[in-house]
Amino acid sequence: MARAAGLWAEVAHHAALYLRLLGVQVRSQATYRMALLLDALGTMLITVAEFAALALSLPRFGGLGGWNLGEIALLYGLAELAFVLMDLLFGGFDAPNLSAHVRAGSFSTFLLRPVPLVVQVFGSDFALRRVARIGLAAAVLSYGLIHTAHAWTFGDALLLTGSVLGMICFFGGLFVIGGTLTFWTVDSVEAMNVLTYGGRTLISYPMDIYGQWLRKTFTYVIPAAFLSYFPVLHILGRPLPDGLPPAAAFLSPLVGPLLLAAAFVFWRVGVRRYQGTGT
Amino acid sequence: MTTAPAPARAGGAVLPSVALPWAVARLGFRRQFAYPQAALWGLITNTFFGFLRVAVLLALFGLRPQVAGYTVQDAVTYIGLTQTFIMALSLFGWTDFMRTVHRGEVATDLLRPLNLLLFWAAQDAGRAWGQLLLRGVPMLLLFELFWDLTWPAGALGWVQTALSIVLAWACGFLFRFLVNCAAFWSPDAAGFGRFAWALLGLGCGFLMPLAFFPEWFQAWLAWTPFPAMLNTVVEVWVGVKTGAAAWATLGTQLGWALGLLAVTALTLHRGLRRLEVAGG
Repeated sequence: MARAAGLWAEVAHHAALYLRLLGVQVRSQATYRMALLLDALGTMLITVAEFAALALSLPRFGGLGGWNLGEIALLYGLAELAFVLMDLLFGGFDAPNLSAHVRAGSFSTFLLRPVPLVVQVFGSDFALRRVARIGLAAAVLSYGLIHTAHAWTFGDALLLTGSVLGMICFFGGLFVIGGTLTFWTVDSVEAMNVLTYGGRTLISYPMDIYGQWLRKTFTYVIPAAFLSYFPVLHILGRPLPDGLPPAAAFLSPLVGPLLLAAAFVFWRVGVRRYQGTGT
Repeated sequence: MTTAPAPARAGGAVLPSVALPWAVARLGFRRQFAYPQAALWGLITNTFFGFLRVAVLLALFGLRPQVAGYTVQDAVTYIGLTQTFIMALSLFGWTDFMRTVHRGEVATDLLRPLNLLLFWAAQDAGRAWGQLLLRGVPMLLLFELFWDLTWPAGALGWVQTALSIVLAWACGFLFRFLVNCAAFWSPDAAGFGRFAWALLGLGCGFLMPLAFFPEWFQAWLAWTPFPAMLNTVVEVWVGVKTGAAAWATLGTQLGWALGLLAVTALTLHRGLRRLEVAGG
């Protein structure tokens, strides 16, 4: 009982530290209001432009591989919402941010401070402008929810929530792996972008439009298909590919955290090595 | 990085005025080859995204042989071309000039015996040419390897395409430079830039061929210089526009280039005067 209380106090303490680190960044970014506003609008516009380009072209084609705009919006909105939330949370681990800290030597400063390293990295790159994208992602997702012929149930809501949580963990894990790689090499981290930003783009569209090998790679080697594609297929009442059982649609909240856990194991190895070479 | 001296040429006052920007362009070109490994990874990333985009377009086409003047082969060529020109035409944005203003390095650049806009144009032309050779051409060959691409038709097609690429670069460079001039007025022009690059991506036809958009949206975009920065190149290349229609669209590009040149030169002039006020 006392141990649980002690653990709880420690978690609360770290959460307070984390929020404090965020607060500092929010205050500094909010100094130039006009710049922040434009920055947020610009960040939003990138997503708007991408989705608008598809939405504007779709009437000419009627659909995308048998999917209408509402159904695509569901997939797109889920991926975007999860990725934005993940980016807000895990932005500190993203390779460009972390490698900048490693190169500038401020990462070594992190190691000296009496605050857990992970808390500091989590709190090292909070971009306020990205908050605007949450609203946008929610709007695309809402469009998808409204424009799919479907009677929504509580179970669906739970499945979609699990899908988003799974994706946050999954892409967060990829960010952690990419960040850890910067301990060894500063270059060639761009290859991780294929998995992170590429993966996000990949799962924004119905995955049966990709060639067999690409879809299978991102189902069985990199299990991205489990994150949102299978849950959405299940909700729309469509069969899963390769004769997979319906239960596979519920694995997102398992697949994501598993990858995240593996990523943090890799992170610990990386940090140990980093300390070793630093002294 | 070795600095190459401006090639010494004998003769009149005209030659040296070309020699200096030429030397700047050559340096801009050579700099692109400094990090071959980064270029390789960039190529891999661009290829991956290219494949995803082809999959989306092929799924859109379905069984249709042709949509809005584009055959399936043209559409794949369109993706290949846009991926080819990402770096050469800086379609994701460009903040180099902005940075020199914020850091005050622009003051040093002003001391150079070369007009500031010409200095940057020469540097960017060299950079663009270097990126086209380093990353553009391999990308195009990769696409040709996996799919059959449409190529410009005959000598006239190639000439018109080449002219269109040069004009697209000119329009794009001037627009990028104009956006960077915001740095004279704002302490944080990055947000302004982000906004502008997003507009560029949608308006220039990077995300989708403009011909696929509804008529009202195309008519609206025709009033902006964005189509001249990429979409025209694609239309001339794949032959959506040929012969007289191609010449007309090249004329439109030229018009936008001249218009942007006037606006950008004026804005830069105003900005530099502001800089003097701040510095005084």
